[in-house]
Amino acid sequence: MGVTQILFWFLSALAIFSAVMVLVSKSPVHSVLWLIAVFFAISGHYILLNAQFLAIVNIIVYAGAIMVLFLFVIMLMNLNKETEPQKNLWMKLTGVVSGGCLLIVLISLVRQATEIKDKIALTNKGDIGLIKVLGKTLFSGYIVPFEISSVLFLSAMIGAVVIGKKD
Amino acid sequence: MNAIIFSALIGVVMMLSGIVIKSKTGIKNLAVILLFVLLGGHLAEFYGVFNIHLDTHEMLATTRFGMFFNTIVITATLFYALLSGDEVVKVGTYGAEYFALIFFALCGVTILSAYNNLLMLFLGVEIMTIPLFVLTGSEKKNLKSNEAALKYFLMGSFSTGILLMGIALYYGATGLFTIEAARNPNDTHHFYGILLPLGLLFIFISLAFKVSAAPFHFWTPDVYDGAPSVFTSFMATIVKAAGFIAFIKLFEIRAFDMSFSWKILLPLIIVLTLLAGNITAVFQQSVKRMLAYSSIAQAGFMLFALYTPNEFGKQGILLYAAAYSLATIGIFAVLMKMKDYTFEGYNGLAKTQPVLAAANTVFLLSLAGIPLTAGFFAKYYMLAGALKESSSNLWLVIVAVLFAAVSVYYYFRVIQAMYFKEGNAETIEVKPFFKILLIIVAAVIILIGLMPSLLLDLFYA
Repeated sequence: MGVTQILFWFLSALAIFSAVMVLVSKSPVHSVLWLIAVFFAISGHYILLNAQFLAIVNIIVYAGAIMVLFLFVIMLMNLNKETEPQKNLWMKLTGVVSGGCLLIVLISLVRQATEIKDKIALTNKGDIGLIKVLGKTLFSGYIVPFEISSVLFLSAMIGAVVIGKKD
Repeated sequence: MNAIIFSALIGVVMMLSGIVIKSKTGIKNLAVILLFVLLGGHLAEFYGVFNIHLDTHEMLATTRFGMFFNTIVITATLFYALLSGDEVVKVGTYGAEYFALIFFALCGVTILSAYNNLLMLFLGVEIMTIPLFVLTGSEKKNLKSNEAALKYFLMGSFSTGILLMGIALYYGATGLFTIEAARNPNDTHHFYGILLPLGLLFIFISLAFKVSAAPFHFWTPDVYDGAPSVFTSFMATIVKAAGFIAFIKLFEIRAFDMSFSWKILLPLIIVLTLLAGNITAVFQQSVKRMLAYSSIAQAGFMLFALYTPNEFGKQGILLYAAAYSLATIGIFAVLMKMKDYTFEGYNGLAKTQPVLAAANTVFLLSLAGIPLTAGFFAKYYMLAGALKESSSNLWLVIVAVLFAAVSVYYYFRVIQAMYFKEGNAETIEVKPFFKILLIIVAAVIILIGLMPSLLLDLFYA
């Protein structure tokens, strides 16, 4: 068992354990913190798959921005025992059924996909996810949308100032 | 390419000018000058004098149709800035920024007239709408303006989400982002069967939202009513026309196989849009809100261009964009001079401001589609195109004509109030220059109405 394989199993176990903890934690803030751990574990997987860009974006956008937003919302809503909504049996049952449906779809998909049969992960293969390749594509074939999106961001920034600044 | 680069750069210049120029008229005059520069830069490309050539890797494809549309849009914006520029700077303390946002929205419009790739469609739509969210909410002390901005932003975000979902499905089906890909879908892909139509349907829904076609029109009255009138005028004309150009560019590709479901879906949406717009407009008390509904009704007519992807439809939409934009900009310019936005507020305007009333009458007649105005030929081209496509469209044409007759009712209510009702319509100060401009716009509308070939010959020249 090489280092990559040990890492792979470790990250997988971490991801699954954290995901379970997201569900069983009583406090919503703890759930969010566990979710951040899940994202970090998945980012580790991306690095193993040679997808550096995806890994970094996953940490910056998901673990960074979106999770902070989650935390803000939870704190703003001020969730505690008294305000917790009553979950009845039907609600739980629907949750189990819909989650189970998704699980069936995913399992059948993995079982049918012949390309990935008997493989743990395609570690260290391919260069499609490398930042170098991505940068080259971005600055050759996709240069026009890349540059034009700056207009979009500029107008959004002006908008934020116009709306946000005190008169 | 010129128009895109110029409008983006001019937006930056406009934004920075706010540091130097403090006077409000100065900012307005600068915006008008820069619009002339933009128009000049665009015409230079149109007539092959000077063109910034960039290798866009087939992301953008400038066509004669798109260039001609850009000319119409930039000219309409010029009239808009001349007529209502003073109101733009009056809305709040950020006059230069408002104009910068208008220029950025124009940049989005020019991208939409030239896109050849769904990525550019997405960018164009976003560059066009994000400034509008801000402009809608620019009247910060007004609760209605805030509400409108939030509504528009939330609904717009969802429609963008649907657009992206559609593009993703499209990519999944064809493996490409180019709009040509819909013509030659990759047959080896076994999911092609449902993914491509589904993706196109999602894109269709999102664009239908942008042009406020029923049943995706519910945001329109509130947003148009809540936004400061001067920005409503911009949104209802230039931006809406751009939505249609984006629409046509994408769906003319599919025109070769107008499938059965498509032939059912589009007439249904056209009839629904005409119904929702016209019938609700009849019951409005405020002229501004009536105009919001009338813009939905006009969108119903413009959708005909989508249904008839032949030369008639293409010429018709250009004519319609010009006629509708000019007339609506004029009506809003007059509306902004009124102190009272209800129908009663117009009572007796012919006595106090005869020029305003006369010009307003021409604009309203054009919107209603009365002969000798540009609106008549615009509607004629739309309906004639539908009949040319197939004579089985006769029922649709008859329905459209009936709804046009309904629209005459609420447009004429304003004319009736102006000329035949006793009252003392109060206006804010009207400058002679404004009156002259109104007469020019009205003259252009009548000129196009007399000789639509004047405009269309340019298209073929």
